[in-house]
Amino acid sequence: MAAPFLEVENLCKHFGELRAVDGASFHVGQDEMVGLIGPNGAGKTTLMRLITGILKPTSGTVRFKGEDITGQDTAKIVNKGIAPTFQVVKPFRHLPVGANVMVSCLCPRAKRRGDWVKTVELRARDALEFCGIADLALEPASVVSHGDLKRLEVARAIATEPELLLLDEPFGGLSPAETELMGKFLRRLHRGGRFGRLHSEGPAMVIVEHKLSDLMKIVDRVIVLSFGQIIVEGTPDEVVRNKEVIEAYIGKEVSSLVS
Amino acid sequence: MGSYLYRLYRGFQGEILAVPGRVIALIFVTLLFLLPHIIPHPLVLKIFSLAALFAIFAASWDFLSGFTGQLNLGHALFFGVSAYSAALLNVHLGVPPWATIPIGAIAGVIAGLLVGIPALRLRGFYLALVTLAFPIILIGVIFVFPDITGGELGLFGVDRLSGSRVLDYYIILLVATASILVMWKLTDGRSKIVRTGVILHAIREDEITARASGINTVRYKLMVFSISGFFAGVAGGLYAHYIRIAGPSILELFFSFQPIIWTIFGGIVTIYGAVAGVFILYPLVELVRLHPVGEIYRIVLMVLILIVVLLFMPQGITRWVRDHIEEICPRCKLINIRTRRYCRACRAPLRAEK
Repeated sequence: MAAPFLEVENLCKHFGELRAVDGASFHVGQDEMVGLIGPNGAGKTTLMRLITGILKPTSGTVRFKGEDITGQDTAKIVNKGIAPTFQVVKPFRHLPVGANVMVSCLCPRAKRRGDWVKTVELRARDALEFCGIADLALEPASVVSHGDLKRLEVARAIATEPELLLLDEPFGGLSPAETELMGKFLRRLHRGGRFGRLHSEGPAMVIVEHKLSDLMKIVDRVIVLSFGQIIVEGTPDEVVRNKEVIEAYIGKEVSSLVS
Repeated sequence: MGSYLYRLYRGFQGEILAVPGRVIALIFVTLLFLLPHIIPHPLVLKIFSLAALFAIFAASWDFLSGFTGQLNLGHALFFGVSAYSAALLNVHLGVPPWATIPIGAIAGVIAGLLVGIPALRLRGFYLALVTLAFPIILIGVIFVFPDITGGELGLFGVDRLSGSRVLDYYIILLVATASILVMWKLTDGRSKIVRTGVILHAIREDEITARASGINTVRYKLMVFSISGFFAGVAGGLYAHYIRIAGPSILELFFSFQPIIWTIFGGIVTIYGAVAGVFILYPLVELVRLHPVGEIYRIVLMVLILIVVLLFMPQGITRWVRDHIEEICPRCKLINIRTRRYCRACRAPLRAEK
């Protein structure tokens, strides 16, 4: 059997006494869309940050396409094909939206030989167009609304032409209509294809999200995290009916009351 | 042939003549090149030679600290290392100026890398404190070897750049124009030629996002440190050969703060702001110095001007001027002269109709 695409093994991150991620192990296939859910403070964001090397894990390993990438520099990991987005949008506020994406297009992974400024600009524009914010390309990121910044975040990530996309709350702060649009567009991105000059192999995705109903519509598999540990893994239908999940979200007594 | 010339002319018209700020810069540079013919006074030539030289110095500070956000309070280090290495090579080994200045600049690059490596781990005030210490350490080293370095008096008798003052002036001015153009292009986020400008802005704004975009920030930061060191080094080498002495005064704290004052006065995060700051403040202070009272109070005067300017133009003088003569089109973001009512390219109204 070929080496799994992304393999996380026994990953731990302790902040002093607090065990934010405590021995999480899971894997993601090359053509999967995985949802990562869990109550607040379960360690979802920390887990994402550990994979991308923004935080260094206390112990455990992360393997990407059979290669150990644990604790490597973020830029290096991104250039191997894992692109993260952030829960709190972090655009380059003084740069125009187009230039924000251009930065990603300039990374060694996305850069082509003989690229010059015009082609990079056009590729950035294609990423923006795909995310539906091409009309804002010239506006500085500081004047753009939150929903559009969320899309900018995704555009910035896909401009590095990733094989694995780690999306941290892509629907956070979006209106229901925007959420639906974003969900559809992530699904389309996952199928892969050619979007203007931007080529996508159909990246695998790990999506951290709180809007469960919207998430369940688009993902193939769900992993539930609670207090740093993975409690359940399965298809959306299985997870929704799982007792442990309901307990983790709502609490024991309440769930017994409900049943 | 004719069509190419015509296209060149149209390009010139669109890129420079239509943008008032660039027209002013063009006129200013032309005047500088004609200066020896307009005012052939040796003192004026000296002041403007030094101003051109310090313009490289201030611009290199802006390149490092303004654009990339690596606050450097010891920028005199690069200048001093280069001035001393040029002077040492020239005085002890008799190397001619055309060789010592590039070697000095390379010494500046090495100094830049030496400061840059600790800078990778430090940020903000901590980095500033560390950089502040470097030139002071170098002064100590210089005092330890007075036989070689000249100690407190400095190294005398460095060769002149060339035979005449006018030629010196032209050499410095040409080098300064070239260096500043290179730095300006490297940092220009809208540049159509090089793409580093966008990346440098990105590193200043948010380093983690830049890394998450796959940019190797370590490499870029080291690159910025060495480029800044290179240009400060060019200025230092020229300075040693122009003043014909390399003394410890160029490593002092005040010398490190000068480029900061000039840059903030002119407008930070714009290479041309640093240049304008030097060309306004430096000649002014030097002229005041001619008067016996002015000699004593020149620093007070400089600080007073700075405070008044920053009170009314907090963004620096060039930005203030730019905002009063230029208008950016709200639709296509092209720079227009303020007197226009509609954008020169897309015809969008520049201001809401009254």
